[in-house]
Amino acid sequence: MPRTRSGAGTGSNGTVADVHRGAKLAADIAILVRKGSGDAPVVEIGQVDSLKLSTRQWQEVESDLKALVREELAPHDAGTREAVLEQLARATGLEAGSSFDLSASLYGIREVLRERLPRCEIKEEHPAGLAVEEVLAVDDDSFWINGWVHDQDGRGRVTVVSPEGARVDLTEAAFRYERPDVVQFYSGLGGGSTRNHGFTALVTLPAPSRLSSGWIAELRTSDGLELEIECPAVSRDAQAVRSTVLGELGQRGSIGGALAADHGREALTRLQLRLVGEAEVDSVDVYGEPPPDPAVSIVVPLYKRLDFIEHQLLQFARDPEFASIELVYVLDSTEQTDDLAKQARELFGLYRLPFRVVNLTAGAGFAGANNLGIEVAAGKRLLLLNSDVIPDRPGWIGAMSAFYDATDGIGALGPKLLYEDDTLQHAGMYFHRTLGSQVWENAHCFKGLHRSFPAANLTRPVPAVTAACMMVDRDLYEEVGGLPLHYVQGDYEDSELCLRLAEAGRENWYLPTVELYHLEGQSYTPGVRRIPSEYNMWLHTAIWDERIESSMARFDPFAAPADG
Amino acid sequence: MKVLYVAHNHPTLHPGGAEAYALELYEGMRATPGVEPVLLARIGSNVARQRVAHPGTPFSSVNDDPNQYFVFTETEHFDFFTLTSRDKALYSQHLTNFLLAQRPDVVHLQHTHFIGVDLLSQIRRVLPEAKIVYTLHEFLPICHRDGQMVRTFSSELCGESSPRRCHECFPQISEQSFFLRERFVKGHFENVDLFLAPSAQLMDKYLRWGIEPERIEVEEYGRLAPAVRAPAPSQSKAPTNIGFFGQLSRFKGAEVMLDAMALLAEDCDAHLWLHGANLELQTQEFQDEFAARHATLKDRITFRGSYDHAELPGLMAELHWVLVPSIWWENSPLVIQEAFFHRRPIICSDVGGMAEKVRDGVDGIHFRRNDAFSLARTIETATANPRLWRSLRDGIREPHAMDTHIARLLNIYDSAADRGREVALNA
Repeated sequence: MPRTRSGAGTGSNGTVADVHRGAKLAADIAILVRKGSGDAPVVEIGQVDSLKLSTRQWQEVESDLKALVREELAPHDAGTREAVLEQLARATGLEAGSSFDLSASLYGIREVLRERLPRCEIKEEHPAGLAVEEVLAVDDDSFWINGWVHDQDGRGRVTVVSPEGARVDLTEAAFRYERPDVVQFYSGLGGGSTRNHGFTALVTLPAPSRLSSGWIAELRTSDGLELEIECPAVSRDAQAVRSTVLGELGQRGSIGGALAADHGREALTRLQLRLVGEAEVDSVDVYGEPPPDPAVSIVVPLYKRLDFIEHQLLQFARDPEFASIELVYVLDSTEQTDDLAKQARELFGLYRLPFRVVNLTAGAGFAGANNLGIEVAAGKRLLLLNSDVIPDRPGWIGAMSAFYDATDGIGALGPKLLYEDDTLQHAGMYFHRTLGSQVWENAHCFKGLHRSFPAANLTRPVPAVTAACMMVDRDLYEEVGGLPLHYVQGDYEDSELCLRLAEAGRENWYLPTVELYHLEGQSYTPGVRRIPSEYNMWLHTAIWDERIESSMARFDPFAAPADG
Repeated sequence: MKVLYVAHNHPTLHPGGAEAYALELYEGMRATPGVEPVLLARIGSNVARQRVAHPGTPFSSVNDDPNQYFVFTETEHFDFFTLTSRDKALYSQHLTNFLLAQRPDVVHLQHTHFIGVDLLSQIRRVLPEAKIVYTLHEFLPICHRDGQMVRTFSSELCGESSPRRCHECFPQISEQSFFLRERFVKGHFENVDLFLAPSAQLMDKYLRWGIEPERIEVEEYGRLAPAVRAPAPSQSKAPTNIGFFGQLSRFKGAEVMLDAMALLAEDCDAHLWLHGANLELQTQEFQDEFAARHATLKDRITFRGSYDHAELPGLMAELHWVLVPSIWWENSPLVIQEAFFHRRPIICSDVGGMAEKVRDGVDGIHFRRNDAFSLARTIETATANPRLWRSLRDGIREPHAMDTHIARLLNIYDSAADRGREVALNA
């Protein structure tokens, strides 16, 4: 076997004198071939700057990449070539210097060095068949792969190979499921093999893969047959990938089954981070002079419906407490930047209440938008507020803040929220598990009852409060990591935040003396949300089952006020 | 004392009752020593078929009067649901500049339609000391159905609004939107020191809607007595001539009126003179239906088209009765005052401002609202009964005179601000 080393060119046991030949793989990444002790070459990849070669030395060894591969690597036997490829694909230097050019160079090397297997043709009389139907980029180095495989005893091994040469064996890892179409196709061959032809897997590579074509899948059957196929081009659009993954979770067994647990959770978590990670603060528009040392910073994410701002500003401007309150709007629907800027300018002209508008480079989702707004906000105390929450009367922030100050060990604080007909939207949240169900749902205390209902007017600790209007100190918020980003399209972020606070030893409180209206359901039109909701609910339970169990053991959602 | 009057129209452009009153009031105040009135009337493409007169300003003058102005607003900028202009520069630049330049002691709004309720907050912001008085002419702040408070799915009268009830009338608009509409309008209305209701029934509906009793009172429209009063009609025959003045629309009871005329007994000699305006503004369907119905009733109904205010004495001369058959509440219909000036008893619907301003059996007769049979029976009785007619004519009182009204308003302007502050302190 060849001795290969990789790394950012530390060259720990090599010396410059060893270098036999080098070539550029990309603008700042080079491959070096050193003289090995035997026949096998020693290959190293790293950033040019860190290869410890002087300009003159580099000029001496630099070669054309194709010539280097053809002359130094290609002549070796298949096993050596494969080992070289494997080591190249795993080189840690790739992660730092990942680029399209580098991927293209590695793909070129792979195509020269790799051992080609016979092409797999799909015929019903053939004993073996393999198809990869989808390669979806979850992020730079993980991919969601769908396909099916057929062989005589169901023991064939399936390996996918990235364009850069990284190999991943799916045989044990993949989620397998029945493909009636494949069963039907091969029915002429008789039984004997598995019916679970379909496979789905999240594949994680040692280094990023940038090329959209060049993926290969190989099948090795127990009776020694070796075949390969080309995979379709990689789909990269994060939104589209997310909805495909969710759709497949919904189709292949129950959400929360093995596919979600073994592949879906990781894939969706990575997708969420990728989607949110694309969003950064683009600019901050300042309207008026914000208070220098705000008592409370209100952060309001805006999504699609901008008309609520006018209603909020009208009510806030009537409240003298807002002299010491900072107001930060975060626009999560970035296509509305110009509309919002125009509206904000006009409304500031009318109401003269200072506020800022945080514009993002991309949609960040509810949790992401809140977190980015909080980064911009200056206050030590935060109030997360939805745009469709309208105070019933002035003085609400002061009342919440006073309660927060006076309550030892408080985590999050939520007020009473009302629908437009004076029934309760929020009087504290708890967790509910239907008989026979494994998952906890979020539930609202006394939802739909009148605002005057006595039990809903009890100030008390509750398992969770809604982020539609939630006060929490910044230190605490940051300590527990803020609103989590891993839920799909907003759900359970607030309850997880509250559970994190509980985990940190805090109590979340419901304060019914403060009343606001929450025109829930008006900020977005409900689409097909069944699968995301089910997934979120499952994920929430998967993470928090024990904590929920213990917090519900101590909480009676229907507690009546004590007599007298 | 400088008083700024704000109206949603100018009578030279749109001959409505409220517009006519606004101009009369302005002129009455101009003739009052110690009062310097300014009239700001909205103009827009929907009434004047014109664009803004000058670039960079929505203001232009009215005739040769240096204290009368038009303010141009684009009709399509007005949000008829939230009652606000989507062009906020109208407030933040033009109207606030106008206020700062004029510096009125009192702003008396006749209407904020096409201008927007935001004006109220801006008056308070730039002129914190100004007294803000607002005369309510219909129920637009309460009711999205053109301020009529009549259900959309039936002709049932509506007594009070709520997000749920309003959503029933407009299923495509959510309860939450109606909630926001009410909060928004009320938020701006908080800046008003005193609301004036020309009728008690209108005040009651605003009280129920949530305006504090300290912030609203009844003050009937004051009117200038006409220079010429119509002579008494011929009494040689029965009092058979009935006149209708006003818009020919469904809300004004056009259908009830036509149905009733078709239901009259053969031997009834009643004849209806329609002095109806704005028929051309109604839907084509309504116009066609009107034409068809009128064609079958030519011997009972004479359609005279629209009229000029100055023609009223002449038109009234041939009439015994004036008919006010509206199917909505009305406020205080100015036609009732006109009829009473010329001493014509009134036949009217038995609800709202009509029932309040016309005393049944004293100076007029009530019939059951939206009930053509009831109206037909009422007409049959009334037109066959000269003694009844004479007694009702004798029961008529002179309408609220403009000079009395002006004296009351001057008192109100003096006290309005103090009331507003009391309410604010008690809130």
